[in-house]
Amino acid sequence: MVHISDGVLSLPVLAAGWAITGVLIAVTLWWSKRKGSIIEEIPRLSVMTSAFFVASLLHIAIGPTSVHLILSGLVGVILGILAYPAIFIGLILQAFLFGHGGVTTIGINTVVMGIPALIAYGIFKAGSRLDFLRKGVSEAIFGAIAGGVAVALAVLFLVICLLTTGKEFSGVASLVAVAHIPIIIIEAVIVGSVVAFLARVKPELIGSLGGDRK
Amino acid sequence: MKNFSFSAGFLFVKRKSAMIEYPEIDRYASLDSPMHRFDPRAKIIAFLFLIFSVVLIPDLKIAFIGLFFAIFLLLLSRIPISFVLSYMKWVAMFVLSFFVILAFTFPGEELAKFYFLSITAEGVYTGSLITIRAFSAIILIFPMIGTMRFDTTIKALDRLKVPNSLVQMLMFTYRYIFVFVDEFQRIWTAMESRGFKLRTTLYALRTIGKAMGMLFVRSYERAERVYQAMRSRGYTGNPKTLVEFEIHMKDYLLAVFIIGFAISLHVISFVGVF
Repeated sequence: MVHISDGVLSLPVLAAGWAITGVLIAVTLWWSKRKGSIIEEIPRLSVMTSAFFVASLLHIAIGPTSVHLILSGLVGVILGILAYPAIFIGLILQAFLFGHGGVTTIGINTVVMGIPALIAYGIFKAGSRLDFLRKGVSEAIFGAIAGGVAVALAVLFLVICLLTTGKEFSGVASLVAVAHIPIIIIEAVIVGSVVAFLARVKPELIGSLGGDRK
Repeated sequence: MKNFSFSAGFLFVKRKSAMIEYPEIDRYASLDSPMHRFDPRAKIIAFLFLIFSVVLIPDLKIAFIGLFFAIFLLLLSRIPISFVLSYMKWVAMFVLSFFVILAFTFPGEELAKFYFLSITAEGVYTGSLITIRAFSAIILIFPMIGTMRFDTTIKALDRLKVPNSLVQMLMFTYRYIFVFVDEFQRIWTAMESRGFKLRTTLYALRTIGKAMGMLFVRSYERAERVYQAMRSRGYTGNPKTLVEFEIHMKDYLLAVFIIGFAISLHVISFVGVF
């Protein structure tokens, strides 16, 4: 996961992370509440969140950050705007249960992964309206784009966080960016094939939460 | 192509071992120590305060004091050190690679030179500071979360007025992680028994995608059943718990002591005692 440990970032970056996350969680939960009872969705949302958690359990630390399947684009495609609270919960559990990531950085890590997930959802939603392609093909293409873009944006956000903390971190930041290029490709392929699979096997699962159904 | 498929291969070797391990941060929750007896609500508040304090220490010497205090609290909790060390692998890899890169790329006074690379004093200093702060933070998680069952933690969060929907998401997500660890393990075993091997191909990655898709389909169907079952037992969205916490004078004193220590770390670095 493109997440950063405790002890690296400065107070303004940490505080901004918590503030943005607090606001976005309030907004996304309020938005889905408007379309129906969020309480009813919680068991479903949580079960899906733990499936994502397990799918992204593995961590490889390459270079300055940990590297593995991130799946934030996929979370966005499936959960819609509720991807943001889902990623928040996932990161809390990862920090406390596995010691991956950090405690004080949960806020900023949610921003780094969650906002790209929301953007990926937007891309996929816009893309899936184009139905001139064969069923399954357009989902595969836009799923792959959503998956790749989500990681690329997360890396970009991470680099911005490091540079905001201190200009001296530019060496670290550029290595982080380079280390993630293969991950972006792997992630795009995997998310594309997951989405294509779901489009054929269980199409109602895509965008099933977050109020789209109502 | 070769390069990234290698990392994908590595990833699944790692995953196989990781899949068997459940999250067991609360394995030693049944021990008895001052940290175990500490009221969960006061403990969470005091330790979160201390963690935020140690990660923001600007001075290396004071960061060491913070680290020693974290180790002291860990020893007080009687959680085995070997257990803590196994959890520190990720953070250790993360900050040590940070340390190495910073030592070479941080601008400043040169300490040593290898051909075109040079190690700077400022880089080593910043790298050490980051390492010590990160280690202190992860060590503090154990006396905090490792000394009570995770469901007690979640109930304490509920009593601390954390928004109900977030508390419930934490609770359900935590429960189902164990179920899906097993589920994915079964899917993976089935794939391997049909002869699937992770090779350097697009085909292999797409097959993993399908396996994951299957995990999501199963979890979605399970989510529907869970939801129906909960509704039929009268779930309305408000958790009812039977655990009652009791807070005593000693809990207040311990919390005040930890928070006082957290504040004084910053006071001494501000005044510049050292």
